[in-house]
Amino acid sequence: MGAGWALALPVIALAVYKLRNNLHERAVPFMAILAAGIFVAQMLNFPVAAGTTGHLIGATLAVALLGLYGGVVVMTTILVIQCLVFGDGGLTALGLNLLNMAVVAPLVAYGVLRITKKGLDNWNGLGVPLAAWASVLTAALVCGGQLALSYSLSGGSYGIEAILSLPAMGAYHAIIGVGEAIITTGVVLFLSRVAPETLEFGMRAKEAKA
Amino acid sequence: MNRKSYLKAGAVVMVLFAIGLVGYFAFSAAFPDGLERVMDDNGMEEGEPFYVAPLSYGEDYWGALMAGLVGFAITFGLLYLYLKGMKAREKA
Repeated sequence: MGAGWALALPVIALAVYKLRNNLHERAVPFMAILAAGIFVAQMLNFPVAAGTTGHLIGATLAVALLGLYGGVVVMTTILVIQCLVFGDGGLTALGLNLLNMAVVAPLVAYGVLRITKKGLDNWNGLGVPLAAWASVLTAALVCGGQLALSYSLSGGSYGIEAILSLPAMGAYHAIIGVGEAIITTGVVLFLSRVAPETLEFGMRAKEAKA
Repeated sequence: MNRKSYLKAGAVVMVLFAIGLVGYFAFSAAFPDGLERVMDDNGMEEGEPFYVAPLSYGEDYWGALMAGLVGFAITFGLLYLYLKGMKAREKA
């Protein structure tokens, strides 16, 4: 459990530090509203398959609109409030939750957005859904790995074997990731129409900067 | 970038998520989410918490709606004040 904190905290601290230098004051209300919106969106579960539901993580949305550092800070805020105020995710799990959803997911989202933006100019539209899907799947697999690790560390009394946890987490979240991709792309597309200049990596980023 | 477009974008995000919140009951199922399902399937239980949060997401529609509104306000307020404070310190 401590390992989650140890890995997540330096990244979050770096993001806060970087954000301090890069954040435009005018973006502050937008960033706060987006965080609050993602908080609410995380409460909304959509059914996927076989009596299972998924809900948005929102990391890709935050990264696409605010950049990597803003995304990390927004996700951290949401997870801390969920844990401390609403008891969604225990205090002991917060370190790992932060690692998975405030560090791993934004990093994957940022990486995919970066690659698709650079390499596939005409495919920019695919970058956002791809980033959303990949960020959910990766975070889920990392979480599966943590369940497996706690299984072997505890000698089988807690956690789930890797051979069970990885395919199960992967399979459910490959579907949940599609939901994440649809919602994220929908919001980004919509914003790209009404306020294209707010998109950091969005589909209209080029025209907006030009 | 001008202030107006940020306000507009902020308002749009708010409206989108407000629609989502009202639709909470229609789409939200009592079923477990992906992680909970995997834990159930493998007979894994969450341990007893040693910290109990003051609020929960509520048991019914109105409880969840209130939790959503309170969470929205807390998240917005906290991040807004924090970032504003950060900017203010920078200027000082």
